Amino acid sequence: MVEVSMEDVWVEIGGVEVLRGVTIKVEEGASYAIVGRNGAGKTTLLRTLLGILKPSRGRVTARGRGRILDMTRTPPHKLAELGVGYVPQGRMIFPDLTALENLEVAYGGPVPGDTLEWIYTILPELKRFIDRKGMYMSGGEQQIVAVARALVRRPSLIVLDEPLEGLAPRVVKSILDALREIKASGVSILITESGTISRVRGIAENAYGLDRGEIIYSGDLDGLERDPEARRRIWGL
Amino acid sequence: MVDAGFLVAQLVNALFYSSILFMIASGLSLIFGITRILNLAHGAFYMLGAYIMYTVMTALPGGASAVLGILAAGALVALIGLLVEAGLLRRVYGKPEEVQLLLTFALILVLDDLAKMIWGPEYKSLTTLPWGSLAVGDYTIPVYHLVAIAVALASAVGLWLLFSRTTLGKKIRASASYPEVAEALGVDTRRMFMATFMLGSALAGASGALAGPVLTAYPGMGTEAIVLSFAIIVIGGMGSILGALAGALIVGFTRTVMAVVYPVLEVALIYIVMAIVLLVKPTGLFGGREVERR
Ligand SMILES: Nc1ncnc2c1ncn2[C@@H]1O[C@H](COP(=O)(O)OP(=O)(O)OP(=O)(O)O)[C@@H](O)[C@H]1O
Ligand SMILES: [Mg+2]
Repeated sequence: MVEVSMEDVWVEIGGVEVLRGVTIKVEEGASYAIVGRNGAGKTTLLRTLLGILKPSRGRVTARGRGRILDMTRTPPHKLAELGVGYVPQGRMIFPDLTALENLEVAYGGPVPGDTLEWIYTILPELKRFIDRKGMYMSGGEQQIVAVARALVRRPSLIVLDEPLEGLAPRVVKSILDALREIKASGVSILITESGTISRVRGIAENAYGLDRGEIIYSGDLDGLERDPEARRRIWGL
Repeated sequence: MVDAGFLVAQLVNALFYSSILFMIASGLSLIFGITRILNLAHGAFYMLGAYIMYTVMTALPGGASAVLGILAAGALVALIGLLVEAGLLRRVYGKPEEVQLLLTFALILVLDDLAKMIWGPEYKSLTTLPWGSLAVGDYTIPVYHLVAIAVALASAVGLWLLFSRTTLGKKIRASASYPEVAEALGVDTRRMFMATFMLGSALAGASGALAGPVLTAYPGMGTEAIVLSFAIIVIGGMGSILGALAGALIVGFTRTVMAVVYPVLEVALIYIVMAIVLLVKPTGLFGGREVERR
């Protein structure tokens, strides 16, 4: 099991403060949505949580498998070893590797047969293009590979950056079904969403509202829609 | 009437020369393809390989010392590559190209002077090649040349196996495409870049070792090698191992044939070929995945 948290985190990119005093906690066994408009800082928040970006101030900590990592000074690959899967925004499938090779890279060796079978039960479509190179896949196929790639180490937390962005309804449904099944198997989920929260209902029960780099709401997902400050700043209602 | 022995001897010459060129150019291309750094000092690494070979072969007599020399050159130059990568280049990944080029150019000057301090300014050559030669008609073929060709072939096959069949090779390719994503998925990308740089450097060192006893070792020999390597990877396509192989064969054969047929154009023709390839296919013969990478 794994738990990650950020405390009063400030991140500056090109002289602009993109995160301003963010404090969040992802507790083991629980699932969260980070909701905010385009440019609110969702991707920056996730990249900081994963240790890809280093904050100018604040603490980023991960605990799991009996270890505590200070992610402000630990290379991100250590977090993957702790059991955190990642689905980046824009899918980022390695273009000259096949779907299976994409999984192999994330696993760190040939993917064990039982792990692949387990992934096929969650994402049955994957079987159809498992030997196709990333550059020859459609956006929907790439998204399925991106989720599969995040599962291959059998993580206890999976972090997804707008995994439903720009997908046809049928693929959205496949991904949502997969995420529900992943959650049901005991994996925690941290997902970002820039539009309506109805899509992430049933996947995350908790929410953080993010606007201009500040956390403006923290509580349960349904409460976000009723919170006047969040309504105004996130949806302009 | 052209003599068959002459043709075979020239063919082996061309293949030998192409082998040397392939090994140095594939190392340069590999490092560029993965780390995006054009290591101008790659030729100096080749020069160090030639000197190390000279030292080993003069210190220990016999054919076994040649094998030892090639291995020592590969290993020592890989080690130098490790120091250069971890100490200098790691700081300039993703920085402006002029910074990277200046740094690796400075490295040439340092390594050239280092070579002069250790081995002196004069040319270092061996009087005889190990392993004797075969007679073909009135001509002879040094066995050494055949061994060098075999080493280059083995390197080509090894590189192909590494990058297409092993997880390590795939992790290196993934790190080249999306370093941050690879890292967040559990790949130690720093180690991948380091391994790539060491492998490319080892190829330069081994190439210099193979070339040394035939072409002699001297300070500045890296410059000619690096310029030819550029031509080769431009012809074959930046970052492509297959391209380096094709480019090395084209350059190796062009030079060997022209040296016999029309020496005036021996070097010029290489650059004419390069210019034609650039005009017809700007990404080189086997390049072109470049576009979708960035
Ligand atoms: N590399 C960068 N250089 C300059 N500005 C950046 C960079 N990365 C992010 N920003 C800026 O930081 C802010 C937050 O960006 P971020 O990508 O975190 O937002 P987001 O909430 O993920 O947006 P979206 O919903 O569009 O993905 C934006 O204003 C963006 O322009
Ligand atoms: Mg984003």
